[in-house]
Amino acid sequence: MAVSLTVNGDERSLNIEGDTPLLWVLRDELGLKGTKFGCGAGLCGACTVHLNGQPVRSCSTPVEMAAGGDVVTIEGLGEGSRLHALQDAWIEHGVPQCGYCQSGQIMSAAHLLASNPAPSREEIVAAMTGNLCRCGTYSRIIAAVESVVADTSDGAQGGAA
Amino acid sequence: MAMNRRNFLKVSAGASGSLMVSITLPGCAGIQTGYEPDTGEWRPDAWLELTADDEVFFTLARVEMGQGTYTGLTTLIAEELEIQPERITPRFAPVAPEYRNPLYKLQLTGGSTSVATSWEPLRTAGAEARQMLVMAAARVWNVEATECRASEGRVVHPNGIDSMAYGQLVELAAKEVLRGDIALKPHSEWKYIGKQRGKLDARAKSTGTAVYGIDVDLPDMVYGVVSRSPRRGGRVRDFNADQVRAMTGVLDVFEIERGVAVVADKYWRARKAQDALKIDWDFSDAVSLSTGDVFDSYRAAADDDPGESERSEGSFASAMEEGDRVVEAEYAQPYLAHATLEPMSATAWYREDGMEVWAPTQAPDLGRIAAARVTNLGPDDITINTTFLGGGFGRRLTQDYIEEAAAVAYRVGRPVKVIWSREEDTRHDLYRPAMLHRMKASLSGAELTGWHHQIVGPQILDWYVRNAAPAQYPWAPKFMYDTLGSVGLMAEGIATPKDHSAIEGAIEYPYRVPNIDIRHTHTDPGIPITWWRSVGFSHNGFAVETFMDELAHEAGEDPYQFRRRLIAHEPRHLEVLDRVARLADWQSPVPEGRARGLALFRSFGTYVAQVVEAGVENGAIRVYKVTCSVDCGQVVNPRIVEDQIEGGILFGLTAALYGEITLENGEVQQSNFHDYPLMRQYERPEVFVDIVASSESPTGVGEPGVPPVIPALGNALFALNGKRQRSLPLRANA
Repeated sequence: MAVSLTVNGDERSLNIEGDTPLLWVLRDELGLKGTKFGCGAGLCGACTVHLNGQPVRSCSTPVEMAAGGDVVTIEGLGEGSRLHALQDAWIEHGVPQCGYCQSGQIMSAAHLLASNPAPSREEIVAAMTGNLCRCGTYSRIIAAVESVVADTSDGAQGGAA
Repeated sequence: MAMNRRNFLKVSAGASGSLMVSITLPGCAGIQTGYEPDTGEWRPDAWLELTADDEVFFTLARVEMGQGTYTGLTTLIAEELEIQPERITPRFAPVAPEYRNPLYKLQLTGGSTSVATSWEPLRTAGAEARQMLVMAAARVWNVEATECRASEGRVVHPNGIDSMAYGQLVELAAKEVLRGDIALKPHSEWKYIGKQRGKLDARAKSTGTAVYGIDVDLPDMVYGVVSRSPRRGGRVRDFNADQVRAMTGVLDVFEIERGVAVVADKYWRARKAQDALKIDWDFSDAVSLSTGDVFDSYRAAADDDPGESERSEGSFASAMEEGDRVVEAEYAQPYLAHATLEPMSATAWYREDGMEVWAPTQAPDLGRIAAARVTNLGPDDITINTTFLGGGFGRRLTQDYIEEAAAVAYRVGRPVKVIWSREEDTRHDLYRPAMLHRMKASLSGAELTGWHHQIVGPQILDWYVRNAAPAQYPWAPKFMYDTLGSVGLMAEGIATPKDHSAIEGAIEYPYRVPNIDIRHTHTDPGIPITWWRSVGFSHNGFAVETFMDELAHEAGEDPYQFRRRLIAHEPRHLEVLDRVARLADWQSPVPEGRARGLALFRSFGTYVAQVVEAGVENGAIRVYKVTCSVDCGQVVNPRIVEDQIEGGILFGLTAALYGEITLENGEVQQSNFHDYPLMRQYERPEVFVDIVASSESPTGVGEPGVPPVIPALGNALFALNGKRQRSLPLRANA
């Protein structure tokens, strides 16, 4: 079937079976390899992308469900050449070990901050619980997210940084 | 795609033999060094390449799977080369003898050996290149080399003002001849080693640009999936090839050694075709065991055969007679899967000039052997390009996934990427072996007088030699591969000619006990096994440190004081033990509903003591806090040490809480993260890692965090409810 969707701001049209998971469309049809395959069952979160502003498991989202939608992947998270604040924090905190889960982790964290700019520790933990990390980077993930939250709230209180 | 095509071609040119001076055996061709006038590149050694454009490339011979070699080893060479690590571009090594791990005589990343085995050679390589650059600059300026110094990628004139970038000097430096050894910098002058610095791969891994095996993309590439026998050893009798071949996008369906491959133009089409594939399996030679049978066979073997003596001191028999009581316990530990987050995958392309493979592998030279085995090609015809690894943990030491991709590509003649599903990855893993431990100790009053440990189970090299031995002897004709395993290992041998995988962590029993008897009853139920993060230490750690806790209790002594008294002769053990007890405030009261457990364990040369604080909440075990003291000698990158130890702790806790692969009539029962769970963010305990400052030679950190946390948690649960758990995983309501 013909499917059109917006990916990282670009209109994309392709002809593909509608049941193909969005993950494989992004990776193999559109060449966006930053989104990872981990479990194929929505259990690990490595394939997390934003669809119409909501985090979805692209491995379990048929592309026909994303038709006409607006998809953002790790490649489109920053603005132009500027990285998203979370990506800067990830680098600063040296979060990644093997790194395979981190695109999904960052996409989940980005959705959290977009919907709740000042989450509590409990809210961060709850939002990040759907993303598995086999290397055990969980504490650095929390520290990185909290550092962005702190910067944002400092900025809000004290004006321009 | 980030593959370095240029590098591959150049190495191939070097490997063709035309430029080699010395006679090398096929497959042993070395890396060409020297200056290339056409390109302005200088390779002072197998690791470094400096260009006239002032670029520095570093060939990383130990793969990056999350354990930090990308940063850590680059830091070593940067320190002596006198350039910021961030200015060096690491690239993954091709297969070449220079890149072998000297401990194994294989190009293998494992055993927490990367820093330890690179510590001297990489610093020396950096120092020699730097010295040649300094000598070249001195010649240009007509001053003494000893008056010049190198700093941040430049050589500085004795006047302290003028300087030249390394790039300006490479052509001249290549002509310099070193005389004598170059002294390495003293500890006090280090700028990068031991300092808190960022990770060189953090940006690529935070922007989705790091290329893992599964991300490899080639022109005209197609996708393969493989249906394997649900029971190990099953053979394909027949399958509905015509029906599957007619499905959308399917290019071919055919049998390979390990099952039936479906190749399609798109991954999802290959998967859908695989759903329609019906295979008639011949299970006459297949494994039909269930997990219970495995442990029954271990118990029977243990009863029949006391096992080979691995360590014997004093007389345990007399200790038993003379002691006033004997304590016995049996510990059972399950098969464990690796569950790397990146499932197995490999891409292969068979062309007239040979085969090229792209794969996330811990042992690229073994990958060549695996690909050679299933094709008409020799190892020299096969090029392995290594990518970033989405987790390794020992899984990617075994090259079955490369073997499959090679078999498929050999038939298809186009680039093929074979991707395993999570279910396939879980069910067709090679596991940490299930093991049984029989422990016995004699006591006289509160004194521990005898220690007996019988380890029951298989050893890993029995499964590994098939690929490892031919990789050590790549010149051997292929018909010899199957015999090389035993012959090769016996004749020349790897550093440990004896396979310690079953007994490591048991034979090094460190406590002062006069009578010791440690044995291994070797029995193998035929379930494929391989290395798993911390290997034998993972199960011996649980047996030894749980039993020590039982004995402390039996002796009526505090578990910390009991260990402390028996380890007083081992200063590095003692220090981490005392530190962790102090940091965890061992003697202080525990909050209501919680308890603490302790373990002390050395593995891979690194000393680790841990205190776990745990409880039971809503019918589930809850780990609140893990305090860990670690002595790994000199630290190269403190952040990476913390990460590796904390990561090891979470890896161990995942095993302690959930890890269990079971078999039913030969079929693995688990498949995905719902039934083989990993610890999640909300379960994460607070982890505090304390690193002992040390100038001893560095030892490994990738694995030593794993073993002690499992018994420490079990010991905490015993302290909580008085029930001793002797099998894993641990239960809330044991």
